[in-house]
Amino acid sequence: MKRIDVCLLLEGTYPYVRGGVSSWVHQLISGLSHLNFYLVFIGGSRSFYQQQHYTLPDNVVGMETHYLMDKDGLLAPRARRGKKSAFSLWQNVISRFKNPEQTLDGEHLQGLLANLGKKHGLSYDDFLYSERSWDVIVDLYFQHAQNQSFVDYFWTFRNIYSPLFTLVKVAENLPPARLFHSISTGYAGFLGALAKQKQQVPYLLTEHGIYTKERKIDLTQASWIKDRHSALDTSIHKKMEQTRQTWIDFFEQLGRTAYDQADSIVALYEGNRQRQIKDGAPADKTGVIVNGISMERFSEAYAKRPQQAPKVAGLIGRVVPIKDIKTFIRAIRVALNSEPELQGWIIGPTEEDPSYVRECELLVNSLGLQDNVLFLGMQNVAEILPKLGVCMLTSISEAQPLVLLEAMAAGIPCVASEVGSCREILEGMNEHDQQLGRCGYVTNIADPNQASEALLALLEDDQRWRQMGDNGYRRVQAYYQEHTMYERYQALYEEHLTWQE
Amino acid sequence: MAGIGFELRRILKKNTLLSYLEAYGLAAVVGSGPWVLSILALMIIGMISIGRVFPNILIIQYLVLVTYMMAGSLILSGMFQLLLTRFISDRLFEGKDHKVTPNLLGCMLIVSALGTAIGIAVLANTSLDAAVKMALLCGFVVLCNLWLIIVFLSGMKQYYRIVATLAIGYTLMVLASWLLPPYGILGLLMIFAACQGLITFVLLFFILRNYSAGSLIAFQFLNRKQAFYSLALCGLLYNLGVWVDKFVFWLHPEVSFAVIDMFRASYIYDLPIFIAYLAIIPGMAVFMLHMETDFAASNERFYQTVREGGTLESVYLLKDQMVLHCKDSLYQIFKVQGITLALLLLWSEEILTLLKIDLAYLHLLYVDLVGVSLQVILMAILNVMFYLDKRYQATALVTVMTLANLMLTELSIQLGPEVYGYGFALAMLISTVLGLVMLNRQFNRLEYETFMLQR
Repeated sequence: MKRIDVCLLLEGTYPYVRGGVSSWVHQLISGLSHLNFYLVFIGGSRSFYQQQHYTLPDNVVGMETHYLMDKDGLLAPRARRGKKSAFSLWQNVISRFKNPEQTLDGEHLQGLLANLGKKHGLSYDDFLYSERSWDVIVDLYFQHAQNQSFVDYFWTFRNIYSPLFTLVKVAENLPPARLFHSISTGYAGFLGALAKQKQQVPYLLTEHGIYTKERKIDLTQASWIKDRHSALDTSIHKKMEQTRQTWIDFFEQLGRTAYDQADSIVALYEGNRQRQIKDGAPADKTGVIVNGISMERFSEAYAKRPQQAPKVAGLIGRVVPIKDIKTFIRAIRVALNSEPELQGWIIGPTEEDPSYVRECELLVNSLGLQDNVLFLGMQNVAEILPKLGVCMLTSISEAQPLVLLEAMAAGIPCVASEVGSCREILEGMNEHDQQLGRCGYVTNIADPNQASEALLALLEDDQRWRQMGDNGYRRVQAYYQEHTMYERYQALYEEHLTWQE
Repeated sequence: MAGIGFELRRILKKNTLLSYLEAYGLAAVVGSGPWVLSILALMIIGMISIGRVFPNILIIQYLVLVTYMMAGSLILSGMFQLLLTRFISDRLFEGKDHKVTPNLLGCMLIVSALGTAIGIAVLANTSLDAAVKMALLCGFVVLCNLWLIIVFLSGMKQYYRIVATLAIGYTLMVLASWLLPPYGILGLLMIFAACQGLITFVLLFFILRNYSAGSLIAFQFLNRKQAFYSLALCGLLYNLGVWVDKFVFWLHPEVSFAVIDMFRASYIYDLPIFIAYLAIIPGMAVFMLHMETDFAASNERFYQTVREGGTLESVYLLKDQMVLHCKDSLYQIFKVQGITLALLLLWSEEILTLLKIDLAYLHLLYVDLVGVSLQVILMAILNVMFYLDKRYQATALVTVMTLANLMLTELSIQLGPEVYGYGFALAMLISTVLGLVMLNRQFNRLEYETFMLQR
């Protein structure tokens, strides 16, 4: 096999799942075509990832896939004692998972690599069936959960720690690479930490969302975890259900270990960088590399931009609750009072959540907006942008929405809710950037009045409209170009690759 | 089978002296089962027939043939008894009551076919009368089925019908043997087969009325995914182990003689041990009563708490309680069987004199009484192991018992008449002590094995 420059560690995304992160990975690989990439995909269960959605670029020299929840080739349960030394290390490691403030250090990771899944260390069968493993579970249970259902605790324990065995095995068998790069913390980040310890080469971490935070949100809502509070337990300070807490602690430790081992930690925008630092990332390793777009794609759109603002507000995005389409519809309703000609276009696929689409349609009807609000479905963004007056984004959660950058590249001003990096994009991320001027307005989440006010402010003043459009164009040009992103990553890779030579 | 446990607890709740007698009586009948009653009936038949059936040797031939039928049928059906019991209780636990009858009938079909084949194979090598062969074959197949059906008795609620059926069946057998004009060995065998058949079919009728069914016959109890084949081996080895000392004595020409055709008996060994077997009735009654009430209940609470998510603290406490109940049950068996043993040892001479049996048997009877008393405790230990789902360990234990009984009995014959019977008693002692040690270890590791070694 060809020399591997960068081994990408991908959890549940590229090339099996479509979405922002996946297109970013594809963009990165294609953009740095002189480097050889090797892909390691980690998924939950094989059945969830059937189809590959991307054609791998030529500079991908190999790929492997691993599924953490698929268990095969297990021996039948048989009583066994277990190795003492392996289990004392294990107990030490587990206690840190219970106490995520104490990060696993290189020595622990080396210990895991040397012992987990090894016949003379801590084999997977020993983990499942041995007496020492039982003693570890019982100890932990009495320390942390002695009033909780034991059978739940037991299975949580098994399910949580089983993937570590797979990860260690994966790390052991990775082909030699000059650098590892994981696109999230979590299992992929932990694998990165193990791989760094195994091969003693640099490890980089880029986070799009904040994995640990997203997991926490999932877990607090997860309905598969049964809450077994005693009916007689009337204390006000009910602790969070132990199972959820155990999972959260686990992901926190995975994240911290990844942060601790990473040589550089990249966030998409300043807000996430602060969050990473709060979650335990050493500040001096962190940095921001914003996503970029190709301005050429929108040059035609920019050229076609009319002199006067078209009375059209466009929302480009999937029709799903997280985009809060309803606030957009309400904002159009309010704005119609002063701008009767106004059109509101919803541009994006409607297949994902049909019931939400139906709710939105009902809202349109009940507000009498049938003539003013249109569902256009999927469209070529570059073609439709010149027809828009304002690009609106009412999402309740975003990281760094590319759609704003695209609108700005076409010279269209934007109105976006204050989520993710929207304020940085529209108003500038640093002093120099801010001097370029704002290219739209930031509004509160779920506030149709404020959104309509911002919308009208742009549509009613053509001069301001063009000015803000130009501001945006210049900002994309200065900070958010694809090649800038490539250069930044190129520099980052080189910084870590050159010292090896 | 929890059925009898509920019934026994219900009776005990009345808390009168009579209710205790009632509960013990019921437990004795269901616990020691028809085979002890059979022995009793046969002994009575044997005694009352003397002077009515001529020549006297015919009675001995009859008793020996019946003994072979009992041994063969117990060993053969032993292969299926535990297997079927476990299958049925698993299905009942799942609430699939309709699977009970078809699988029982399927099992009876297989046992009958096997029994017939083996019976024909054995009888083909004999030169008995064709009619006698037929009577023997019928009796053998009927017995095989009876032992299977007995598995269900404790699971049903109509205990008084069961007791009445057994009582009427065996009374009929005794009366018919005594009152009907003597037709020699054929007559006695036909009465035996007919009465066992009557008991079998009446009990089967109760079972069929008790469990509804969608189909007639099913063989799911043999399905690899639902059956535990180790239980078949365990049941086979247990019955083999209980009989192997008799076989050894029958096969050695210096301690046995040919009674009829190829069927041999031991003039010195057989009589004392069969009398001794009657001594297990009190022990079995206590075993049934305590195991199926307190112990079974605490066992169920333990596993229920494990399944339904109790704290580990409560799991520990419930196990302690289960161990306590187990200890108590074993202690009660030990106590009652011990008193029985002491009394019988005191009265052995009188009993033998009363039964007009040569006092030369006295010493052997002492040893056999100790042996069968230990066997009751061993049965109780095995029962606890089944409750704890320790199938392989139970199989290992009965393997030890079988091998020890075989080898020590052989050794006792080599050593001479003064140690006859010690082989059996020592084998039971070794297995009982080993069983207690194993049980102790199983209880110590119960939580670990329950959680860590489940599939």
